[in-house]
Amino acid sequence: MTTILQYTLSGLAIGGVYALVALGFHIMWSTAKAVNFAHGDTLMIGAVLAVMGVDAGMPVWLACGLSILAGGAFGVALERIAVRPFTAEANSIGWMLSTIAIGIMAESLATMQFGGFSRALHSPGVDRPLNVFGAGVYAQELLIPAVAVALTLGLGLMQKRTLIGRAMRAVAHDKRAAALMGVNVGRIVAISFGLSALLGAGAGVLVAPVIQASATMGVLLGLKGFAVAIIGGITSAPGVLVAGLLFGVLEKFVEGYISTAAREIVAFSVMIAVLLVFPQGLFGKRETVKV
Amino acid sequence: MSRLHALGFLALAALLVAVPLTADNEYELRLFMLFLIYGLIAVGLNVLVGLTGLVSLGQAGVFALGSYAGAILAVRLGADLITASLGAAAIAAIFGVALAYPTVRVRGVYLAVVTIAFGIIVENVAIEWSALTGGTTGLSGIPTPNVFGYELSGYGFYGVLAATLLLATLAAHNLKDSRYGRAMLAVSQSEIAARSLGIDATAMRILAFVAAAVTAGVAGAFYSFLNAYISPDIFTFSDSVRFLLMVILGGAATTFGPVLGAFVLTYLPEYLQDFQLWQKFAYGALLLTVMFVLPRGVLGTAGFVLKRLRPPARGLSAADMEMARVGLPAAARGATAELVTQGLTVRFGGLTALSAANLRVKGGEIHALIGPNGAGKSTFVNAISGVYQPSEGAFGIDGEDLTGKRQHQIARLGLSRTFQNTELFGDLTVLENVLVGGQSRLSYGLADALLRTPRRRREERDLRAAAVGLLAFVDLTDHAKEAARHLPFGLQRRLEIARALAARPRLLLLDEPAAGLTTQEIGSLADMIRKVAAAGVSVLLIEHHVDLIMAVADTVTVLDYGQVIASDRPGVVQNDPRVIEAYFGSPVAHGDFAEVPA
Repeated sequence: MTTILQYTLSGLAIGGVYALVALGFHIMWSTAKAVNFAHGDTLMIGAVLAVMGVDAGMPVWLACGLSILAGGAFGVALERIAVRPFTAEANSIGWMLSTIAIGIMAESLATMQFGGFSRALHSPGVDRPLNVFGAGVYAQELLIPAVAVALTLGLGLMQKRTLIGRAMRAVAHDKRAAALMGVNVGRIVAISFGLSALLGAGAGVLVAPVIQASATMGVLLGLKGFAVAIIGGITSAPGVLVAGLLFGVLEKFVEGYISTAAREIVAFSVMIAVLLVFPQGLFGKRETVKV
Repeated sequence: MSRLHALGFLALAALLVAVPLTADNEYELRLFMLFLIYGLIAVGLNVLVGLTGLVSLGQAGVFALGSYAGAILAVRLGADLITASLGAAAIAAIFGVALAYPTVRVRGVYLAVVTIAFGIIVENVAIEWSALTGGTTGLSGIPTPNVFGYELSGYGFYGVLAATLLLATLAAHNLKDSRYGRAMLAVSQSEIAARSLGIDATAMRILAFVAAAVTAGVAGAFYSFLNAYISPDIFTFSDSVRFLLMVILGGAATTFGPVLGAFVLTYLPEYLQDFQLWQKFAYGALLLTVMFVLPRGVLGTAGFVLKRLRPPARGLSAADMEMARVGLPAAARGATAELVTQGLTVRFGGLTALSAANLRVKGGEIHALIGPNGAGKSTFVNAISGVYQPSEGAFGIDGEDLTGKRQHQIARLGLSRTFQNTELFGDLTVLENVLVGGQSRLSYGLADALLRTPRRRREERDLRAAAVGLLAFVDLTDHAKEAARHLPFGLQRRLEIARALAARPRLLLLDEPAAGLTTQEIGSLADMIRKVAAAGVSVLLIEHHVDLIMAVADTVTVLDYGQVIASDRPGVVQNDPRVIEAYFGSPVAHGDFAEVPA
């Protein structure tokens, strides 16, 4: 029983990270119909810069804040350089490969600056484990899913109540019509990439105390975040949140009862299976063809 | 085969013979053999990416499957090179089919993620299933390659690799230059149009995935023999990216591009070693540069520049024009065809777009279907051409039930259509568009295509003659070699009609063919429609343009709110009060216009 609770709580923690990453994919896909394949590296930038900031003697809160901002800047720059020039093309090879290229470069730079090894971020959230009905968890692990839920709700409010949020929804619905209504589509897309990068880097900062920060941590987390976005239905923010949390818990159970390699096998098989049954994801909207 | 391609194959063969003669040491030759293996993967992947337009970022997974299959067969069962390669090819092919299955439901980025997931799953199964694969320590002790009991020397193995690459490149070239390659290109540009011409898009995608998988599988088996040791960390996501980049860098859909790309990306890491720490960074920067500077790849760009410098003739050669005299062929199946729908109903959720529509297009007649916007005309067209499945009711041609059949099956049974918003294969030439239209009538198979048999040549020649004849019929011979998307709108509409006729339909379905045309163009369209009907093809014409309908239609059916409200000769329908009400509103509400003939 304690084991089950333990796996569930740790699963929710990593699931919260997946949800935050996937939420970024949701925002980018909604406005640009393109995503950043290096989004996992945004997370890595957040985590690695935070550790380096603390190394340099900054207080934790400042290091975290600055690294999240740096991640956001990375997202905006990447959209301008690697996504916008290719979104006009019919197929997606262009921006897929160009964002992968930026990811390779970011990872290589991080390896040079940070070194090839992993280090954890020292945070007050992992000072001592808490006892929750016999299961040992860090406060940080409880914080992650809570932040994911809060940010999903906040995003929903922003999209409904604010001018920028409404513009984002308009662009998602029909770029050309939005442009004709005076929406600066380029800027909205840039903002959405920046926003999703903030979430991604934030996820990196949140997870760095729990798992080790390293230059190569981004690739797999990014891919899993994308898998989660697809499972949840990339058009639905709440769907993405639910899928992320469930995905994390599922992973922890497979990892705990079988092995790490089995975790990856099950996780990605689940994604393929879901796609075959629900091509638009569990909570996504189906798009109809018209001729 | 064009002269340029023949020269290319000669040059490739010469290179493959020259390299082992000039190699200084074994390491040099080994590196070149690695290139041959990568080249094989890239040539196969090009069929998937270049021709079919599908992105695979999991090719390293298929490569790994082939490697492990080959290695396990060799180590555990003592299989020779040929048996191990065939075993690897078979296993890879099975997974190729499995990978193609998701494309039925998902495309684009989703598909890319499915392939990534596949690659990661394979990598981790190799780690987990250690009884078979040796787990993380890998499989070692793979014997030196032998064939039928004879051990191959280093040069002998080289010969096998070189011959395989050359033959694979040739086979891929022949495939591209056949009905299969054309169908793949067509599917990648407009799936709905390809299906409407009788092309089974799913089968084409499966074929492309299998082609890419078999080559990667064989390459994997070769790799395990070359390396004598394999482990899961050789087959990662970044290898999949590299394989895809080989195709893009060399030039997707070109014959030699993938080979060139594989060559560059095999040798480049050797040079990048000088950058030491910056090696990976330089690789990423190179990838980014390629996407910006050479998005079509080296050979794709070269071909583009060549075309700019020496533009080929836009029209047809004199020899081709000789064939143009064929003109419009008579209807394929002798007797004229009758289309009947009974209670055809299409619902979208709660909305009934088409409600129990009964309609009969008599053999050889021109039947117009009209109605105000939202009346259900497009739904009707999409239902009888198989784009939508009707919720209730039935339809058929000449008593043959078509209900529930898929789009390409309906097309093959004799129903061709055009589209409201033209759906041409934009990057194919005008002539190629019409060739695609006629190709469901071809009967040569995959082996004929790969080997360029006389049968393939004969059928392709006949198809071409028929296509040129149709181009003459719609007066487009002067534009035959132009890309379809460069045609002015009016000509695009005509091309679509020629393409639909190329399938030799019994019933031609024209969806708003006059929309956007000038008065003059509508005049010649009317002539064309009459000639088509005179040749024995029944025509169902969906149109708003009253003049055109009055000029050509034998019967007019009017739809309103998804229901047939009138069906008769044009003159009668024109004065039908229900029709007038549907178009202009109720006479009661507009008292001044109440003088409607009863």
